[in-house]
Amino acid sequence: MTNYLNKNEAELGEKLLKNGYVISKQKDLTHLNYIRNLIVEKSSKILKISKPKDKDFENFLNNIHKKLSVKNLNKFRLKLIKYINDDKDFKRNYFYSAKQPLFALVGNELAMQSRVNLSIQLPKDSSSLLPIHSDIWSGDSPFEVVVWIPLVNCFSSKTMYLLKPEKYKKIHKNFHKYVGQSSLDFYKSIKNDVEWIKINFGEILIFNQALPHGNIINKESQTRWSMNCRFKSIYSPYGDKKIGEFFEPITLRVASKIGMKYHLPKTDD
Amino acid sequence: MGERVPQNIQNLVIRDFCEKNNLLYNLSASEYAMPRCHKILDQVIKELKSLDGIVAYSVFQLPEDNKKRYAVINRMFKKNKIFYFALENMTIKNQEDLETIENIWLLKKTLPNCLKKI
Repeated sequence: MTNYLNKNEAELGEKLLKNGYVISKQKDLTHLNYIRNLIVEKSSKILKISKPKDKDFENFLNNIHKKLSVKNLNKFRLKLIKYINDDKDFKRNYFYSAKQPLFALVGNELAMQSRVNLSIQLPKDSSSLLPIHSDIWSGDSPFEVVVWIPLVNCFSSKTMYLLKPEKYKKIHKNFHKYVGQSSLDFYKSIKNDVEWIKINFGEILIFNQALPHGNIINKESQTRWSMNCRFKSIYSPYGDKKIGEFFEPITLRVASKIGMKYHLPKTDD
Repeated sequence: MGERVPQNIQNLVIRDFCEKNNLLYNLSASEYAMPRCHKILDQVIKELKSLDGIVAYSVFQLPEDNKKRYAVINRMFKKNKIFYFALENMTIKNQEDLETIENIWLLKKTLPNCLKKI
């Protein structure tokens, strides 16, 4: 097969296939800093407290549970999601933080999820759990990848887990055996085969959302903050989430625009 | 574009959009069901004088024909009115917004020619 991908692109692709995810360390933190600054600024505004200094951002986010109760968490989160998605530069910075690996793994004419999701997991909070699932099972297209950005260092139960691809093959083959099980039972049956993704602020995670993943109660003493957003090639098949209502084109090329507007000349009057 | 969402669901989405964006939901208008018919939309635009704009359920309720779609949006521009689209959470206020929505329209019309099956 002809393949003109360069060495780095090919290696990154191999990693995604083998591990189900890649982690890209950012040399330039401009885009991630923009995102984290916006989150801290808007959080402070909602909580009516003064914004901390840059060097205290990590500490502020890790300890937000000292200022925010589980009861008020969802209202706070929804307000914050609206604020960040209304910011005109937020999504551009989100994309730019992952542009290079996305171009290598997905392509250069991309559609991006219209609204970026935010996850806040307070210590010992059982209300923000995401039971084990594959996004494809609930209507996403397998042509999408998820760009997951941590705003704090994530590890152990403060992070997400992903079933390893080689283990998923076995589950896929014997899926009928798991039908009728609760998601908790399903998780228990595979928990020894999942990988807990250790990732720090300054790194981005791109993972194959077809692989079962989720989180458990955060047993650490710090709050987890992460964002997730789906990207796909514009012209690849869509699942239930369509262009316009869920995805928007972000890197449409001029040849595509010319082609989409082209009509053959009429030969009759 | 061949998709149909029950009118009560469309109204729910529009009401929710108005609430979230602090817009006063004034009156509701329903388009005739005939394909490519936009008579009610034409009438609403004519009578927009006392209103800030139109909240449509979806971008894909605009005319499918590129020239007719441009014409509708240009009429809104000339009247200094805003076009909102509740499902997509989009707004046309200026030329840049228009281009974003045009790209989505062109893609919607092109995608049936692309790989569809997952």
